[in-house]
Amino acid sequence: MLFKCFDYLKKLFCYGLLLFSATGVSFSQEKPLDFAHEVVPILKKHCAACHTNGTYKGSVSFDTRQALIQSKAVVLGDSKKSEIHKRITSKDAAERMPPKGTALDEKEVHILARWIDAKLPWDDNFTFKTGTYVAPLKYREVKVPAGSGHPIDRILAPYLAKQKTGNQVLVTDDVFYRRASLDIVGLLPLPEEIEAFVANADPQKREKLVEELLRDNRAYTDHWLCFWNDLLRNEYKGTGYIDGGRKQITSWLYNAILNNKPFDQFAQELIKPNADSEGFIKGIKWRGRVNASQVAELQFSQNISQVFFGVNMKCASCHDSFIDTWKLDDAYSLAAIVSDRPLEIFRCDKPTGKNAVAGFLWPELGSIDPKLPKDKKLEQLATLVTHPDNGRFSRTIANRIWQKFMGRGIVHPVDMMANKPWNDDLLDYLASFLKENKYDLKKLIGHITSSKVYQLKAATFAEEPAAENFVFNGPMLKRMTAEQFMDAVWLVTGTAPAKADAPLPKDIPLATGSAKRNFVRAVLVHSNMLMRTLGRPNREQVVTTRAELLTTLEALDLASGAIFHDIVSRGGKQIFTELKDKNKDVIIKNVYMRSLGRNPDASELIAAAGLLGEKPDADSLADLLWVIFLLPEFQLIS
Amino acid sequence: MNNNNPNMTEILERRRFLAQLAGAGITTLGLNEPRVFSAEKVEQPKATADCCILLWMGGGMASPETFDPKRYTPYEVGVRSETILSTFPSIPTVVDGVRISQGLENVAKVMDRGTIVRSHRMPDLGTILHSRHQYHWHTGYIPPQTVAAPHIGAWISKVLGQRNPAIPAFINIGQKLEGHGESEELKAFTTAGFFGGEYGPFNIPFPMEAANSVRPPKGMTPQRFEARMARWREMVQRSPIGDKTSDYHRDSIVRSMENAYRLLSSPEREAFELEREPKEIYDIYNTSRFGQGCLLARRLAESGARFIEVTTEYVPFLHWDTHENGHATLTNMKQQIDRPIAQLVLDLEKRGMLDRTLVVLATEFSRDMMIEGVPGSNASDQSRAKSDVLKEPKHYGLHRHFTGSCSAVMFGGGIRRGHVHGVTADERPLIVTKDPVSIPDMHATIFTAMGISPKTAFDIEKRPFYATEDGKGKSVDAIFQKSRS
Repeated sequence: MLFKCFDYLKKLFCYGLLLFSATGVSFSQEKPLDFAHEVVPILKKHCAACHTNGTYKGSVSFDTRQALIQSKAVVLGDSKKSEIHKRITSKDAAERMPPKGTALDEKEVHILARWIDAKLPWDDNFTFKTGTYVAPLKYREVKVPAGSGHPIDRILAPYLAKQKTGNQVLVTDDVFYRRASLDIVGLLPLPEEIEAFVANADPQKREKLVEELLRDNRAYTDHWLCFWNDLLRNEYKGTGYIDGGRKQITSWLYNAILNNKPFDQFAQELIKPNADSEGFIKGIKWRGRVNASQVAELQFSQNISQVFFGVNMKCASCHDSFIDTWKLDDAYSLAAIVSDRPLEIFRCDKPTGKNAVAGFLWPELGSIDPKLPKDKKLEQLATLVTHPDNGRFSRTIANRIWQKFMGRGIVHPVDMMANKPWNDDLLDYLASFLKENKYDLKKLIGHITSSKVYQLKAATFAEEPAAENFVFNGPMLKRMTAEQFMDAVWLVTGTAPAKADAPLPKDIPLATGSAKRNFVRAVLVHSNMLMRTLGRPNREQVVTTRAELLTTLEALDLASGAIFHDIVSRGGKQIFTELKDKNKDVIIKNVYMRSLGRNPDASELIAAAGLLGEKPDADSLADLLWVIFLLPEFQLIS
Repeated sequence: MNNNNPNMTEILERRRFLAQLAGAGITTLGLNEPRVFSAEKVEQPKATADCCILLWMGGGMASPETFDPKRYTPYEVGVRSETILSTFPSIPTVVDGVRISQGLENVAKVMDRGTIVRSHRMPDLGTILHSRHQYHWHTGYIPPQTVAAPHIGAWISKVLGQRNPAIPAFINIGQKLEGHGESEELKAFTTAGFFGGEYGPFNIPFPMEAANSVRPPKGMTPQRFEARMARWREMVQRSPIGDKTSDYHRDSIVRSMENAYRLLSSPEREAFELEREPKEIYDIYNTSRFGQGCLLARRLAESGARFIEVTTEYVPFLHWDTHENGHATLTNMKQQIDRPIAQLVLDLEKRGMLDRTLVVLATEFSRDMMIEGVPGSNASDQSRAKSDVLKEPKHYGLHRHFTGSCSAVMFGGGIRRGHVHGVTADERPLIVTKDPVSIPDMHATIFTAMGISPKTAFDIEKRPFYATEDGKGKSVDAIFQKSRS
């Protein structure tokens, strides 16, 4: 079963009862108090300045009902005994509240007394504490500071200027090439490519490199397929396929990335699918009975919410969410859109007797007509998801893309888009940029990677920064995905597999440039135990980020596992065959260039020579490869 | 030297962090791991076991043929299938009045060291798919789940950590995860799930090759491996990356490599080498891969593993998964498990470890001659030997998946000795008639023995995820030696 939160429920239930009985015993002749319109204005006028939002004189806080009760200024249900009542009615100037300004008038005193007698009825979620962030829905035009630089740099200039540890240093050409190439097409650069790039005197060469990488449709697609497979939980075999309970969208997805399908159209085709793209909304049908919150319709609701909006609808699939404002009905409204049958709402796996009515998360953008047939409802949903006023759609994907390049989202984590961004101008700007450029993801990527901040030296953190402490200081060190790592190792050693397992569309182009860049990439073959250990997920759930840290079991597989050992051994032979006529220094430099994208320094040259021994052979070359592949420098993108 | 050469301060800084890392245990991890859910305080029970060995009878072990024998009907052509409950006669055990099935003579001799739970009961999940029920048993949650649910071994590893820094906490013996029809489904629960790879299973599908997984790769001398490692350390110090200061991504690589090296070079790795066992003992265990796995489990328990699973291995239609020819297959299966299990219990006892080692034998459900699922279930019949009367030996056996009751056996770790818990009906349907034990309750019992409250919860995606479903698993106190309150 889906894990439910009975203890939460219990608390909520008790709290609800309390409120109910509280209002129930209020003066029967008078109509119940209206907290928001009667009580709040009085508190704002007389109490808030000294007792809310960070200022709590005498340790009394009116921020929340709970805080007020804890302040011991009231006796619930008995205004006469309450400190507040004594103070607001006191004639003693030293005791009276508020100490300055006019005292409460009779009517105000009466309202607060009634409020205390009724045990402080309070509106859900109301707090005097400001700064509780509410994520905007619509697009917001950002005024980019004037100047000549890249808009992203101009937006971030004031932010970066404020940081004490301001990182101003741009990476060198070789590091930049490795970073851009791994980030955009997932491949290590070849030595000759780096050398030519470093030698090139064109001041625009970095921007041009980014453009060139983006034009390599094949390599770009092979790289980004991994991201989208994770996000759309597309896999070539696995749970559900055993009896037709799942359908892959590989061919459609591959073509969509290859042709850089505009992201609004991309989303529309997933939501109102054709025969090739329907796998995403079909979800995974498990054999046998499943929990009500995991039927295909609810999977649809959860996945649409998470993938396109960074909304966690998993809680609300079972009961009203405790972590945000989404309700059970919201989850079911989305689910009802895709349902072929009247969809009964289940609360915590128990039927409620009520059927779901199709609807959309943000009615201000428009609604779904529940009477329409399913395909028409899906069409309406597709329109609403990509609505020109739906800034959340663009913010969510822009944030995901930023995270891929910078190691951390502007909103963190990327699936909680209701969290406050560390720079809302930047996020809103990128979202608008995407929309204005007809949802062209490559344009967005090109825009991000041609900024100066993308060229900053990698930011390092001794520990993973907590959300509240994070300061953007350039792209973080990023760990290669399992697929990037395998591709890198295969490219260096020439040991890529012979054929792909993924059912690719016909007539796809080759990667541009050297023939060495054309090999069967890891994303296109079935996962093996090594890739699995290194973090390739089995894609039963939507996955949006991979583990950032290497674990002991992964290290063991790399240190002594058979699969990796085999690759390294074959690599040693391969390179030995290629370079056996060269002298030792040339061999070492070659291995360094193809693996790390740089030359070894003198001390490294000596250490590597020690490893290769008097006369390098296939084994000693394998040793050198092993050492290099296991270096943090190799496994991380800096 | 070029400008990549670090200056002296940097070298010292690096030495400091490398030294720190080398000393750090496996548990130094990042923020992105789930933390204990803090909204409610959970009191942890007093542990009666430090180590748990799960003996997994993958494929659905029929309890009427093993630990809960019913009326025996010998094979004879023309016997009506519906009259058959058990295809083996029962035998006495050392415990008065407790009988188990023929073929388990050695286990019968150690039944005074443990408890048979005859009333373990699984929910009806509709159409039977072994891997789905196995997922449920191993994670405590019915798939699918919105997050990747951790295996019970990962829970124990996460909450209790390693007993010995050189031995992985969670070791999984005997299951191939590649190359058969449900391998992807098995992988879905053979994982630490949202706890992250550090707590995942160390998989040893072939016990005889266990030593290879903690040795330098095949064909490599220890000297050559040492040389690699020494150069690697040197190169890590020289390699320029990012800033010269510490970074948690980089540190995790260095730390994990050092942890791996510790295992690969520690004396404890001899635990993985079955050839070190005296021949007469080895021979007792050597009935099958499962038997070898039991021996490996004992050696690893001695060396400080925390949770070890040994499986008879689930492969569709093989081993306990009898869709036809059940009687003949089970004769063989019992030969595989009988001696090793009994010897494991005796060996643990001889070493004074049985009191603090919980051995659990379990399976995803039982089997029945007639009923698929539970009575009244609409699960489709998956027998491959359908016949109203016995016509040939392949008809003789329990060929349907039965979820109405099944047996589990527990030894040591504070569990009562010579005890039977729960009762099942004596006539079909052989459902639980007294003291049912659900999967959450069984897990709660295991967790409690290990000193983990079934209510323990971790915060994942801002929601609590409990050790037992909704924190509701109740430990079966009646099967502990001293009744727990």
